[in-house]
Amino acid sequence: MIEPVAMANFFTVFFSAAMVIMTGALYALLFAYSRIKHAPRLMSLAYLAYLGLFTSVMTLANAANLFHNTFWTVIVGLMLLGYLLAPHAIWHLCIGTHADEHPADDAQPAKLFQQS
Amino acid sequence: MSALGILTNANLNGGQKLAVKYFTVAIALFGAQVLFGLLAGIQYLNPDFLFGILDFSVNRMLHINAMVVWLLFGFIGSVYWLLEDESGVPVAGLALGNLIFWIFTLAVVVVVLVYLLVQVGPGELKSIWLINEGREYIEAPRWADIGIVVCVLAFFYNVAATFMKGKFTGIAGVLVLDLIALAGLYLAGMYYTPNISMDQHWWWWVIHLWVEATWEVLVGCLMAYGLIKTMGVRRKIVETWLYIEVALMFGSGILGLGHHYFWIGTPEYWFTIGGFFSALEPIPLVAMVVHAVFDAGHHKLKSTNNPALAWIIAQAFGNFFGAGVWGFMHTLPQINLYTHGTQWTASHGHLAFFGAYATMVIAFLYIALQKWRGGVYMSSNLAGAWKWKWAIFLLHLGMIAMVMGLLIAGYEQSQIERAIEGSTWMGYFTAQAHPWFVQGMFWRQIGGWVFAAGFVLLAWDLMTIGKRETRPALVHSEAEGT
Repeated sequence: MIEPVAMANFFTVFFSAAMVIMTGALYALLFAYSRIKHAPRLMSLAYLAYLGLFTSVMTLANAANLFHNTFWTVIVGLMLLGYLLAPHAIWHLCIGTHADEHPADDAQPAKLFQQS
Repeated sequence: MSALGILTNANLNGGQKLAVKYFTVAIALFGAQVLFGLLAGIQYLNPDFLFGILDFSVNRMLHINAMVVWLLFGFIGSVYWLLEDESGVPVAGLALGNLIFWIFTLAVVVVVLVYLLVQVGPGELKSIWLINEGREYIEAPRWADIGIVVCVLAFFYNVAATFMKGKFTGIAGVLVLDLIALAGLYLAGMYYTPNISMDQHWWWWVIHLWVEATWEVLVGCLMAYGLIKTMGVRRKIVETWLYIEVALMFGSGILGLGHHYFWIGTPEYWFTIGGFFSALEPIPLVAMVVHAVFDAGHHKLKSTNNPALAWIIAQAFGNFFGAGVWGFMHTLPQINLYTHGTQWTASHGHLAFFGAYATMVIAFLYIALQKWRGGVYMSSNLAGAWKWKWAIFLLHLGMIAMVMGLLIAGYEQSQIERAIEGSTWMGYFTAQAHPWFVQGMFWRQIGGWVFAAGFVLLAWDLMTIGKRETRPALVHSEAEGT
């Protein structure tokens, strides 16, 4: 079910796992900031952060032997998909919940991937 | 209301008068936590220090128990603080609430005195009931366990009956449901079985579900109220987000419990469940990041209470780093095999508890003080503002130093004690004597002293903030303009 991490890979696992969350947050942060400031250039940086997230997940999966088992491989796929889509979904929730507050400004959110 | 800047109970409603009693005990216990933590830290470096007078096991227990109880007092105080404000009616059964406060406080004092006076001795049925239950983090004797449940039930009655009598807001609904779980889940920690795997199974319900689920939701409610008060965020928005974040937290957090079941003798399927839900657990934190940016963009960080807002922002970051980053670094079973129970866990625990919970209670203390002093001005150019700014800086600097020191020590333990020596007693002692461990603990101690300095400054600031102010607090439309 699990194959423990080799000692030589300890640091890689800790570092890449931390980077998964950091780049995930950076992606979400830049994504939200780009939309709220209507700054399409920041959206490119957001997807660059997602690329960092993708690299971190693959590094983590490789160092933690996750690709040696089908279940853990599926988890890796779900993580990549989940982190890609979560900021989009949450942004739509933000728009929905703030619709009454700034109807003219935010009622029409930019479409998915429109600003990338 | 009395004159601005004067600290008087005449400025408070009934629930708030009770709240400030809880806050006062909370701060005293926070000080006790810092003190016993410093002593335990010294004992890591010099094991003979206070040996036979105040043993490490007792210091560590008091350090952790004081933390649990001061946060609990802080949460209960915060809920009493907002109760009349939210419901629009006086607290139902306030006399019972006051009585319970004194019983609870007296019980805490008795439990601590017994811990200090009876440090060693045989473990038997009598000692479980009267001295120490012997279960890590929830060592309180059985009589105190029952007392805690009774106190929480009385507290639940105050809250639920008040909301039933007055307005039942969205925050109220989540809070009432959460308090049922708060009382109910603690019962799992009182189940006795001689089977250690079963014992740990239920024990984790208290440790993970009580602390990581019910407390997180409680903090979500406090955050919602705090954002309405300090930034003037609209209730509809805050409550919608409270529902979303609670759903995300429960969706990933309840079965995230599985990451504690990896190594206690439970079936292998917990690897699958724990691994999957642990990977999901950071999602609510990412959701909060997006929403925080959205709200900050709309409200431009203008607030009626700058110290409270600063601590609310510290909560968002502390929760993200402490629970999210530090948790995910060692949550997958492939690496957790080597890290669980080492100083890695302590590093994660320090940052997560401080970041997620202590910050929120401190934010509430500032919200309370503003009204306690008659609704005094607490926005930009506040007289003596250097104290709260330096307190927040020193507390964070000290915490970061402790967390990094423990991280280095834990990294060394995971390699030498676990991977090389295979978790033997020899491995345990070899790892403890290694220079990286010793140096990590040394820097942790330095961080502890800095944190203690920050605590002293915080306590001083809480006693004096707004004292020399004569301006009234801004209202939200004014705050937007500053």
